[in-house]
Amino acid sequence: MNIKALLKSLLLRKFTTGLLILQLSITLGLLINSVILALDTNNKLAQETGLDIENTLIISLRPTSGEYRNLDYYRSIVSEDLHQLSKLSGVEGVSLMNQLPINKNGMLGNFYDLDDPEIIRKDKYLRDVKFFISNENLGNTLALALLEGRFLTKDDQLDFGRNEPGNVVITNSLKKALYGDDSALGQETNNGRIVGVVKDIMLDPTIPVDKQYGVFDNRAMEFIFTGRFYLLRVTPGQVEAVRNKVSDTILAVQAERDIYRIITIAEHMKRFYSHDKGLAQLFLLLCGLMIFVTAISSYAYSQFHISRQKKYIGIRRALGARKKDILLYVLTENWLVYSIGCTLGLVMALGFNILLSQYISLSKPDIMLFILASVVIFVAGTIATLIPAIKTSNIPPVIATRTV
Amino acid sequence: MPSNSMFVYNLTLAMQSFRRAPTLYFLIILTLSIGVGVLCANLALVNSMASDPIPEKSANLFHINMNTWPDDQPPDEPMHILRYRDAMAIAESKLTKGSAIFYASGVYARDAESSSMKRFDSEVRATTPGFFELTNAPFAFGSAFEKSRGMEIVIGDELNKKIFAGKNSVGKTLELDGELLTIVGVLKPWVLRPLFYHPTEGRAFNLTDDIFAPLETAIDLGWSIHARSSSAVNYTGIEETRDKDVYYLQAWVELADMNQKSALQSYLDNYSQQLKDAGEHPLAIKNELHNVNEWLKVNKVVDQKVLAFTLASVLFLSVCIFNASSLLLPRFHAAKFEVGLRRAIGASNRHMLVQGLTESVLLGLFTGVVALVLSWLFLKLSVQFLPRLTNLAVLEPKLLVLGMLLALVTSIASSLYPLYRANYYTISAELK
Repeated sequence: MNIKALLKSLLLRKFTTGLLILQLSITLGLLINSVILALDTNNKLAQETGLDIENTLIISLRPTSGEYRNLDYYRSIVSEDLHQLSKLSGVEGVSLMNQLPINKNGMLGNFYDLDDPEIIRKDKYLRDVKFFISNENLGNTLALALLEGRFLTKDDQLDFGRNEPGNVVITNSLKKALYGDDSALGQETNNGRIVGVVKDIMLDPTIPVDKQYGVFDNRAMEFIFTGRFYLLRVTPGQVEAVRNKVSDTILAVQAERDIYRIITIAEHMKRFYSHDKGLAQLFLLLCGLMIFVTAISSYAYSQFHISRQKKYIGIRRALGARKKDILLYVLTENWLVYSIGCTLGLVMALGFNILLSQYISLSKPDIMLFILASVVIFVAGTIATLIPAIKTSNIPPVIATRTV
Repeated sequence: MPSNSMFVYNLTLAMQSFRRAPTLYFLIILTLSIGVGVLCANLALVNSMASDPIPEKSANLFHINMNTWPDDQPPDEPMHILRYRDAMAIAESKLTKGSAIFYASGVYARDAESSSMKRFDSEVRATTPGFFELTNAPFAFGSAFEKSRGMEIVIGDELNKKIFAGKNSVGKTLELDGELLTIVGVLKPWVLRPLFYHPTEGRAFNLTDDIFAPLETAIDLGWSIHARSSSAVNYTGIEETRDKDVYYLQAWVELADMNQKSALQSYLDNYSQQLKDAGEHPLAIKNELHNVNEWLKVNKVVDQKVLAFTLASVLFLSVCIFNASSLLLPRFHAAKFEVGLRRAIGASNRHMLVQGLTESVLLGLFTGVVALVLSWLFLKLSVQFLPRLTNLAVLEPKLLVLGMLLALVTSIASSLYPLYRANYYTISAELK
């Protein structure tokens, strides 16, 4: 096969070939970046959270009546709720919390050792430590992994109205930030004495993994109005059965509540990334459309040129070229166009990646992805040109003898 | 009327040409209208996000940021949320035409006289009475409350529909968190895109509030803060925040002219300086006034993801144009005998061009119609994928026009090269 001759024939129709190449390269550029977006989102959803995301249920609720302004009433209802929920079959642990992990912002505060208040100037994340107001069952319910000391206990709950910090449990990254490899047990901080250190769980996915600073205390009963989320640890396989009973159980205790969401942590995480996922899906949809359009173009391109080359192909056939040769000729011509398109597409993918990163965060393209995307383009293009190519190879040699 | 009959003749030719290759033209219209539709749907989202929600006075309304955090570790510098006494200093200033001091809260509401115990989750704006005039809130019934304290509320159209079936509910009483408050005003349907008075905390595309309550009353009743708050001290309920360093109020002012802006700026700077001199904060004097559009820009209300997708759809449209071009080329090529013949019997280059353009304009019109339908579809589809933007999915008339124009431009653009080529076809070559 004479590549030089092929190139020459392509140059004869530089405009249409140019258009197709441009189209191919833009398609490739978009395809690569869309796949990157989709992969990025999937990676985010698959990242390690340190939580049993499938078997932990979150119940989001708020009281709706004015009765609950009486905090003692509020407390008695919540205690009963938790008690009734813990009796459900399949429920292994029940707790409550003021805010959820895997979230942006929320209740934040600064946290430092009383001996070293200046440290928050060096590490800005220490000014935005997540504060979890919870109770003694949190460690068990979230299945937190204890690294040092102990979980919170009933005794860590202070008398209501005592305006002093109590005992707290902190996450490992917070301990590392304050005490390095030394023990944190018994240390006095601006928010109480540290009695335990737990393994990190993902608190805010938008900040670095080693800055997942969190503090847990046992004051949910005191600040009962902050306890908007109940947590249930469920026996694997029982999630749906438990989920179906939650509303009735809570409303049976007292009906004036708005239970607006009952989801697993996995679903909560999906919600957190739903905007990213939606965008990735939109991009993939656009890619699909683009490949479709490009395939139409490839088809039109070869169809057009074949119709113009009918006579020459006829002559070639008359001179002894076999059907197979013609088929190969037409396909090679297209493959050459695709190769140029894909090479240009690499540039386009890089350029588009840079352009997109002005607006959104996405990873850099890698070579495997490029090869994969090129294969998609080749396959789609070949399928689109196969029919005109086969038609061409069927041109009988007798065409050569006709004049018009 | 030769020009008119020529036009009709050109139209007839165009229709003939469409009829001769229906599949081809169908494909062209389809690809072009998909391209235009996708772009148009995105532009509709961007348009909603970037529009000025209160054009009649957006240049005269200012959001105030202040820098009065009591120690040298402020959460932001300056802060968009203010503490009670700072906000009141603004409200008391005589330099403004009007002001609104508010925070966002939420309660459950029911008609106090109703036998049903069903309560509706309602977004609350706890505000000073100046809010209504400042934001041009449209009243359907009744009027604003006049004081910052009192058991009176104004409710939004949506809540009025839910509880009172849209009837005039002025004088009725709502039970909110166990307290009875009387309705003094009901708003008309009120759409603000973006919600300029509260674009922070990702609320730019929320709906307007359901209940507007007097600020002092809401504080007294302990209605909790539903948006961002920062505090330098511990506190349990909002009712104790008036004299504490708890930052949660937002302040807007309306100025009669720009001279007042510098006067207000120096008033605020003066105020901050006095606090600083009294040792109440160590920070730099940094008070900022942003008008509506500046404030929306500071808060980046235009979703960057949608912008990125718009960029991609521009590329997609260009691919569609290239595609239409390569589809049209064989079409014109196939007609070269006809073209050559027509030129041989005296049609000028201009005639041929006009005829070709007529065809592409007609093509553009068809494309436009299909594109508008598709853009509506894509818009619905986009908010399926990005539910956060649901409130933005509207196709305004100007976007319909834009979509039509885009369709025309793309259709003409894609036939430019084929037309140019067709003008080189000569009868001699064809008759050879």
